[in-house]
Amino acid sequence: MLQNVIRAFAGMTSSVRSGLRGGEPKDSMQKGSIAASLFWLSAAWLIVALLATAFLLTELYSRALDTSLSETLEFHVETLVDLTLVNKDPESEAIRLGDPRFQRTASGWYWVVRDQNGALLNFSDSVIGMVLPPLEGAFDATNTRTAVITDPFETKVRVLERAVTVDGVPLQVTVTGSLDEILELVDDFRGQTLIVLGAVAIMLAIMSGIVARLALRPIGRLEKAIERVREGESESVTGDYPREIAPLADEVNELLRSNTQIIERARNQVGNLAHGLKTPLAVLRNEASIAKGTPLARVVLSESEKMSQLVTTYLDRARIAARSAVVGKKADAIHVMLRLARVMEKLNPKITIAFVRPDASLPWFRGDEGDLEEMAGNLLDNACKWSNGKIGISMVAERGQQGSMLLIKVEDNGPGLTDEEAEKVLRRGVRLDEKTPGSGLGLDIVKELVDVYGGSLQLKRSVLGGLLAELRLPAAKLGGLGRG
Amino acid sequence: MRILVVEDDTNLNRQIKDALTEAGYAVDVAFDGEEGHFLGDTEPYDAVVLDIGLPHMDGLSVLEAWRRAGRTVPVLLLTARDRWSDKVQGIDAGADDYVAKPFHMEEILARIRALVRRAAGHSSNEITAGSVRLDVKAGKVTVDGHAVKLTSHELRLLSYLMHHKGKVISRTELTEHLYDQDFDRDSNTIEVFVGRLRKKLPEECIQTVRGLGYQIIED
Repeated sequence: MLQNVIRAFAGMTSSVRSGLRGGEPKDSMQKGSIAASLFWLSAAWLIVALLATAFLLTELYSRALDTSLSETLEFHVETLVDLTLVNKDPESEAIRLGDPRFQRTASGWYWVVRDQNGALLNFSDSVIGMVLPPLEGAFDATNTRTAVITDPFETKVRVLERAVTVDGVPLQVTVTGSLDEILELVDDFRGQTLIVLGAVAIMLAIMSGIVARLALRPIGRLEKAIERVREGESESVTGDYPREIAPLADEVNELLRSNTQIIERARNQVGNLAHGLKTPLAVLRNEASIAKGTPLARVVLSESEKMSQLVTTYLDRARIAARSAVVGKKADAIHVMLRLARVMEKLNPKITIAFVRPDASLPWFRGDEGDLEEMAGNLLDNACKWSNGKIGISMVAERGQQGSMLLIKVEDNGPGLTDEEAEKVLRRGVRLDEKTPGSGLGLDIVKELVDVYGGSLQLKRSVLGGLLAELRLPAAKLGGLGRG
Repeated sequence: MRILVVEDDTNLNRQIKDALTEAGYAVDVAFDGEEGHFLGDTEPYDAVVLDIGLPHMDGLSVLEAWRRAGRTVPVLLLTARDRWSDKVQGIDAGADDYVAKPFHMEEILARIRALVRRAAGHSSNEITAGSVRLDVKAGKVTVDGHAVKLTSHELRLLSYLMHHKGKVISRTELTEHLYDQDFDRDSNTIEVFVGRLRKKLPEECIQTVRGLGYQIIED
């Protein structure tokens, strides 16, 4: 029965554990379960404590019974001595004990009176047909000796033997009582004790299971909260936690904060270094182009060119590396495109931008606003560079294989690209126009960002005659929310 | 045309100043934000080259302060930060154009030329008045297709008048826009240069408006 209880409990604790893990299988870094440890520990303790209790109670009960048996035997010895005194003859037929068990053969209850040499003088009816030899060993201070023996009928009996002198005649009075009766009582008692204590054990185990479950519930909540942070749904661990766990939540938040700070600081320093290098590079490059043609100028020019390319490359990389931290951000694409169009119009007064304004239900971009600006801005910049005065911007929502996507189209009426050129441009690091300084298509950063976000960039031919760039980016789930 | 260059790197400042001077502009320089702000607030510049990262007062604050005070001078921002969000920020602060470091000096010259032209309302690099034609980019003047050799001071004077053709320009304004602040200003020199220009160009090109100044008639 106990085993069934344990089995039921192991099932229960494992369900507690899987409940805490959100049902997700995680093999790593698991070293046992608190709930299971609590259960097994309390179960082991309960078993030891309850068994000890059962043993102790039974032992006490059996001793009490034994003591009472000894007292009964004592009483019978006294009675026999009294009867002998009254009848003045140890062999008198009138010496009889009232207890009917002394009349029943093989009952375990016997009495015998012997003379000092051990010759039988008188005995109970129950002794007939058997031999009950006197005990060995010396009498104690009260002229008594006791023992536990087995009678010829395999009954365990307690023996009390006393040496007395009745009217100057030394006698040995022996009385026995059945121990098996007591043992039967003790067995009954033990059985009942185990049943009662077993029931107590089951209740305690259920209680400890419930307690473990209740006690561990905040840990489950904490895990959920941390998961939300990882998914980018929340910036810090939130919620009320009990006194024991609250410091853990605080520490996690502190860790998140300091982590963000460290990343931020490192990124800033890389940025500062790279940006700081740009001014001296500009100086070197300008100085060298003034003295154009000399060998020194040639070296300085080519080296400073390499250096500024390195600076650009690593700044781009640093930006992209910082991308991984932008989980959970979203940006209003309409807002961003309007702002960029405004900037481009100011920078290029000769160009008119036709902005096909989508309705406000257009989903937001799932990502960092600055990144969207970077991608769309570079596409717009290219369009401005190549266009003959006209640029078109339009946006639609699309349902792609990877869920809802945002399609941003930027087109111009410039010369456009042939299919081969378009393919070449989309390969990394290729610049179509190497003549004008800094006027390459600059799509590298766009392509890298598109990859990071799992979007796509396609170059096609526009109805305006020039290039049509199609930028597909993941849309935010809660599209349009928060737009007034 | 008078340009203000605000850049804290002394070498870069000198290079930009030299390049602009060589291109025929009068150039003033400032090495920090406060000095730059003061000059731009008090002197009539035709364009400003403004670095964003400046000591004492950063470029964007300088720019915003000018715009708040109603100064519409075209501003070309110089910056090491070339993210689009930086560009948007700069344009929103009131900049007219934007050059990212490290740049080629030709780029600065081209952008300044375009800004000055745009501010004066011209859309091409060539300005004509009658038979006189000024190529702003090359700094060449032709009359009826024949090249005319001008000294740099003569070219500056003609260029300013051509950019503002149709308007009467006072001698003071000319002095303010043709010479940097360290120049010993004597408005008589303007008369000398106008005289020399009249000899090299058709007589009727530059008109004197008595008591007010000079004017190139719009055709």
